[in-house]
Amino acid sequence: MEALSIYVPKLVTPKEYIASGHRACSGCGEVLAVRYVCKALSRNTIISNATGCMEIISSQLPQTAWEVPWIHTLFENAAAVASGIESGLKARKRKYGYDKEIKVVAMGGDGGTADIGLQALSGAMERGHDFIYVCYDNEAYMNTGIQRSSETPFGASTTTAPSGKVSIGQHTWKKNMAAIAAAHDIPYVATSCSSYPFDIMYKIEKAMKIKGPSYIHILAVCPTGWRCPSNATIRVGRLAVESGVFPIYEIENGKYTLNLDYPKLRPVADYLKSQGRFRHLTEENVAVIQEKVLEEYNRIKTLSHMRKKSK
Amino acid sequence: MKNEIIEIRWHGRGGQGAVTSAELTAMAAIHEGKFAQAFPSFGPERRGAPVLAFNRIRYDRPVRERSGITLPDVVVVLDPGLVTLIDVTEGLKPGGTLIVNSTRSVEDLQQNFDGDWKLAVVDAGSIARKLLGVNIVNTTMLGALIKATGLIKFESLHEPLEERFGARAKSNFEACKLAAENTVLSQITTGGLKTRRSFAVEKLAKWQELPIGCVVKEAGNTRSFCTGDWKSQHPEWDDKKCIKCGICYIYCPEGCIKQQKDGFFRADMFFCKGCGICAQECWTQAISMVEEA
Amino acid sequence: MASKRIGIESSLGIAEAVKLANVDVIAAYPITPQTHIVEGLAEMVANGDLDAEYIPVESEHSAMSACLGASAVGARTFTSTASQGLILMHEVLMVAASLRLPIVMVVANRALSGPLNIWGDHSDAMIIRDTGWIQIFVENGQQAFDQVLCAFRIAENRDVMLPTIVHIDGFHATHVIEPIYILDKKTVSEFLPPYVHPNPLDPDNPVTMGCFAAPNLYTETRKALDQAVRNSRNIIDETWQSFGTLTGRHYLPIEEYKTDDCDTLLVTMGSFSENAMIAVDRMQKAGKMVGLVRLRLWRPFPTEDVLRAISGAKNVIVLDRHVSLGGPGPVCSEIKAALYPLEKRPQVVGIIGGLGGRDISPENFVSLVELGLEKIKTGQTGEMIMFGVRE
Repeated sequence: MEALSIYVPKLVTPKEYIASGHRACSGCGEVLAVRYVCKALSRNTIISNATGCMEIISSQLPQTAWEVPWIHTLFENAAAVASGIESGLKARKRKYGYDKEIKVVAMGGDGGTADIGLQALSGAMERGHDFIYVCYDNEAYMNTGIQRSSETPFGASTTTAPSGKVSIGQHTWKKNMAAIAAAHDIPYVATSCSSYPFDIMYKIEKAMKIKGPSYIHILAVCPTGWRCPSNATIRVGRLAVESGVFPIYEIENGKYTLNLDYPKLRPVADYLKSQGRFRHLTEENVAVIQEKVLEEYNRIKTLSHMRKKSK
Repeated sequence: MKNEIIEIRWHGRGGQGAVTSAELTAMAAIHEGKFAQAFPSFGPERRGAPVLAFNRIRYDRPVRERSGITLPDVVVVLDPGLVTLIDVTEGLKPGGTLIVNSTRSVEDLQQNFDGDWKLAVVDAGSIARKLLGVNIVNTTMLGALIKATGLIKFESLHEPLEERFGARAKSNFEACKLAAENTVLSQITTGGLKTRRSFAVEKLAKWQELPIGCVVKEAGNTRSFCTGDWKSQHPEWDDKKCIKCGICYIYCPEGCIKQQKDGFFRADMFFCKGCGICAQECWTQAISMVEEA
Repeated sequence: MASKRIGIESSLGIAEAVKLANVDVIAAYPITPQTHIVEGLAEMVANGDLDAEYIPVESEHSAMSACLGASAVGARTFTSTASQGLILMHEVLMVAASLRLPIVMVVANRALSGPLNIWGDHSDAMIIRDTGWIQIFVENGQQAFDQVLCAFRIAENRDVMLPTIVHIDGFHATHVIEPIYILDKKTVSEFLPPYVHPNPLDPDNPVTMGCFAAPNLYTETRKALDQAVRNSRNIIDETWQSFGTLTGRHYLPIEEYKTDDCDTLLVTMGSFSENAMIAVDRMQKAGKMVGLVRLRLWRPFPTEDVLRAISGAKNVIVLDRHVSLGGPGPVCSEIKAALYPLEKRPQVVGIIGGLGGRDISPENFVSLVELGLEKIKTGQTGEMIMFGVRE
């Protein structure tokens, strides 16, 4: 899957659609993920972006990092704005012969997607708009300073769910957005991670060809919020995938495919130890997480195998 | 002096803890019964970007000022790289104090400044690495502040450090002490070149000049915004080891690594924030990160 | 100009106007008493009578958000709501104005919870006063039909580019069948030029909309927006003049009714103005010189016109259909503020009434005026006066 064949520049467009000079943190995995998303989308797109890091770092008046038409309005409504864009284009095509093929994309972080923006996203998916929703998930409200969201993993310490003498930090498990999206019976749902550029680009390209809603959930490593060195971004993302903490898969019309399947997963401890947000965890805590990770990984693997068998 | 408000401006980079320095200073002053404020520069600055933090300290009356500090009495520079990058002395009052973390000699540093100021220099980075094991100098530099200004007492730092760092308070306190001992004081009179750009406001539009709906029509115009000054280290390529694979190019969050005509890669230093991903991910270890001077 | 006189519910008359405006996108969420408007539109779309995308969104917040998106790609966009729906949209309204997107909305004015109340008053309209939308009040179905067409022309004018609301009182106006002159298609298309956004979202000319502004620019962005709202007045006047010439139905920001030689003026807004007219007729017939001043334009606030209309009076009685809890009625306080710079000012008394569908009949208006005059006589104009409350 991740065919990192040598000579990358031959495989991807040299064109950047999110310009340098953006103000993302040094080593930001989120802007990296968005860079790949945009490379795959190329120019014929309109992006509706939720409030959050990506908006703040790319659009301080009078400057913009965007090379594609881009609109930010509020935190919870990126998908609703995208509905309007898609409908507006559709009406203009039908009524006035506007003849451009444009893929509408809504983007938001985990807070803008899984928490405050969930209703608007659900509405847009249910109504069947032809659009791609990209969630770049860095597992907390990083823009406001590392507050917990429903995507924060169990055991992580954040500023509003800090670890303390009587608390492990986050005591709930990560909300499964891919399953929620899939429950809307949309044609394409996929997960990916900022350390896997070709996987992201492949999935965006696939989503572009699909009529109707697609949902792509990208784990985006945040060195600032996860408390790891800025040069560890790629490595930490890879550990998330190789340990099974964040499986990379697709759900096409309800059918699961585990894209990166490891015969032997790395211990989750390798992943947890790479970040300061998990520093406080005890061995027992790690064991609990290990068990849950394997359970979830195997569930997806089983679903994926069922599909292979039924072919 | 007694009734005057002393204003301090801290220069650091996002993530280096300049805000913590200002907070600890204020806590210590308050602990002594003085009146003090500490506040950040409330901006959207990210990790690595040059940031500011501020203090106001007054001996015997409450501080009521709520606005920004533009004419400080004291400037403290946590990051050595900032000295040659921006004008850290902007607005510094004549007779004021400039405190710099640097490995450079006092004589050498003096060449950078032009004004009637007291200069205090300490190699806080070495002290922090030695005593704290990290290159974060926000507590260490408090020692230099105490030595150069006497605004707060060492003892007053005990409690704030304890509260903030718990078990690590002791080593932070020692780093402070050592920094004070190693701080070299001198006087700047005239002299050096001053070609740094101002960190203050650039020229901005009048309301009449704003387009309808504040739409920005120049796609990608952040390309004129320099993020290169965020870095404290930069990548260097050893072309002998390079296999021209382009891994560095694809993994660069700034999108600022480009392939040259000869097939080798280089980062555009105008944008490179020095994250080090390229060096970390390079398959052949052809890239190494080099500390900024 | 050709038009047809038909008996039709005001809400459906509004839908007819929206159809004649040939909108491209409608995004709406049902709420009483707006429902008949959007049901009418949905039916037109379903039958192919109106070629538009109808987005049945999952909330008013998303309704306005979808309108933003549609308008930003250059589609003519309409929505309608009321009450809780309007205040759920509140934060999106601010953005629509700041992005200068000429969305047109009809608000079927209704009280706000709590307690829940589905009937008419102006509390929803007042709460969104500061959002940067042009706010026009109508009194009946014909005015609603006319003002919806005018709203598109005003909003989309290149010198305006602001979202616009036509406020019609819930039930008392929306749900009434009455005669309305429906203009023909050709007349409307001549009156209303096509919508062309100067910088739409378009891959051939990629623009960025919705940047954030730091303290060093935010003030300038607000000044620019405020100036745009104020400047819209020129186009509002011009549009209403053209419409008057075209149809013979003339509209003004402040409309006076039998105010000549009147010492006492009553100030109203919205559908109750027609009841107030009847009351004025009766009072004048009985020899009491009371005239009526109706506010049609609420934002931009027509200060000069207000002064022209009321500064010569001795007594001014202002009806507010909204309680600013713990403060003065909003319409009354704006009128007082407008009068303040004058050396010689009329006595002004504010009365709150008509809340949550509580009727103010013509007879009630006569009592209301008597109450107001009594309060002026006894020097109690600073009091909080609530009309028709049981005590």
